[in-house]
Amino acid sequence: MSITDLIYLSQKSLRSNILRSILTSLGIIIGVSSVITMISIGSGARIEVEQQIERFGSNNLIVRSQSSSNRGVSMGANSVNTLTLKDMEALKEELPAIKAIAPRVSLSTQIVANGNNWLATVTGTTNDYFDLGNWKFENGRSFEEEELASGSRVAIIGKTVQKNLFDTDSPIDEVIRINKVPFTVIGLLDAKGGTAWADLDDTVIVPLKTAKQRLVAKKFPGDQIRSMTINVRSSDLLFKTEKDVDTVMRKLHKISANGNPDFVIRNYAQFLNARQESSRVMSILLATVAGISLIVGGIGIMNIMLVTVTERTKEIGVCMSVGAKKRDILLQFLIESLMISLIGGLIGIALGLGVIFGVSEYFKWKMSLDYMSIVLSFVFSSSIGIIFGFYPARKAANLNPIDALRYE
Amino acid sequence: MGDNKLLALDNIDLSINEGDFVSIMGSSGSGKSTLMNIIGCLDVPSSGEYHFRDNNVSTLNSNKLAELRNKDIGFVFQNFNLLPRLNAQENVVLPLLYSGKNLKERNQLAIDALESVGLKDRVHHRPNQLSGGQQQRVSIARAIAGSPKLILADEPTGALDSKTGLEIMKILNDLNAKGITIVLVTHEDDIANYGSRIIKMKDGKILEDRKNVNN
Repeated sequence: MSITDLIYLSQKSLRSNILRSILTSLGIIIGVSSVITMISIGSGARIEVEQQIERFGSNNLIVRSQSSSNRGVSMGANSVNTLTLKDMEALKEELPAIKAIAPRVSLSTQIVANGNNWLATVTGTTNDYFDLGNWKFENGRSFEEEELASGSRVAIIGKTVQKNLFDTDSPIDEVIRINKVPFTVIGLLDAKGGTAWADLDDTVIVPLKTAKQRLVAKKFPGDQIRSMTINVRSSDLLFKTEKDVDTVMRKLHKISANGNPDFVIRNYAQFLNARQESSRVMSILLATVAGISLIVGGIGIMNIMLVTVTERTKEIGVCMSVGAKKRDILLQFLIESLMISLIGGLIGIALGLGVIFGVSEYFKWKMSLDYMSIVLSFVFSSSIGIIFGFYPARKAANLNPIDALRYE
Repeated sequence: MGDNKLLALDNIDLSINEGDFVSIMGSSGSGKSTLMNIIGCLDVPSSGEYHFRDNNVSTLNSNKLAELRNKDIGFVFQNFNLLPRLNAQENVVLPLLYSGKNLKERNQLAIDALESVGLKDRVHHRPNQLSGGQQQRVSIARAIAGSPKLILADEPTGALDSKTGLEIMKILNDLNAKGITIVLVTHEDDIANYGSRIIKMKDGKILEDRKNVNN
């Protein structure tokens, strides 16, 4: 008996009991949709983490100044910028685990060019900023040493700024006015896209010295800076270096080990770990649901198949009398339970896709559909069908033809 | 039970020749059903031997028995025993599925068989859309589709009115005329009378085995 004949006979009997077949596969439906959702959440989180690393660079710590309260008295807004270039040099010197540090001053201001007006964040920094932040150049170049040293009025702009000031035209060698000061555009950065909280491409980058002299002289006097991005040599050293930076900074700023610091250290790895951890918890939860419902679903299939075998005892006898071998009967019932579980698998996949779409639309939670998860679901549901269908099928196959024929 | 072993068949010595039309008669409990099961290779005797053509059936395993039933034996039951979900043609095709005939061949054989029992225009009807007589003819078509050597008919007219019953007997008679051996189990004299040989059974023993001269 060929497999297509078996499938034909099986679908005949399943279709005669269509509601029962679908209800039977309910457990499989829930199990499979959980499996798919689980895997999608997991791989979504992984991809998100990869994208974050892509955007912000890996192994980076960001040190920012923060208003401190000293003996209960707030030092006020003027005390905000407590980070200095001296701190940066000291850190570099004291901690060999640090590979590079990019300092940063920033302001939000009007940019005028080409008769257009645009409010953007302007950053004053050094060339390290591009490497550490994983910035790529679509066009043009980074700063020359001479430009950094002399404080040249050159600027590198992001895609959003280009779009708003120059539309699709090349901005290279064009002049833009930042706070009325003319700058020449020497580079255009590749697009990074937005995050939930900021458009990373809405940026203008100028040499640190130029910014301090011409744009933020009042805001960041002397060698004050807003923040610095510290790049650590390897990810193993990240958390240790975070502690070391804290220690060194406290020493530099004369803050005791348990005093309120006037700086804050942000560690992206921490954020990413938390993100991964929460998706892991979610995945474990779903895996549990999936596991239980697959087993319950399997038992449901076994139950219904036992009922089916009893109901069709006479029919089995007829098939045996016209020449069905044990193997034929076994296969027919196995294929029936396999089909129930595969129908459940298909519906479960559809439901899982729906959940994935719904969740990623509604909660803006990144989910990625992994095709492996569909393959896995098929494997899961078909093995459930075979495992739990085997006992009833064997029971059918072992019927004595005479007893089966006589059964009413 | 216990020491009182019940023998369904006792000391049976019977041979049936190819082309015979044998009627087996007896009340319930006479052992005629057991004899029929053994002849039909549904069961093997607990002691003694049964030879069907060149096979010593007593020694065959369930797969071999299934094969024999599939190729050489056709069954016609009192209650037709058609599968309700399958139409006439699919019911007739069933034994051909198990013998592994290809789609085209088995469909043709099924249609031929249905045509020979006069149901050419009922090929796609399901059992519940057919009358009792038509259902019995479908089951005869199923029995003959694989061109068996032997047809076993167990009270084939039991569930039919006498007129339809006669039509069924006529079909069986025609099949016998074509050389197919027929073993018929019945308790009605006039149905048994179609046989060329009548065997009467009681308490597991053969009471009478005679040629039927009326036929």
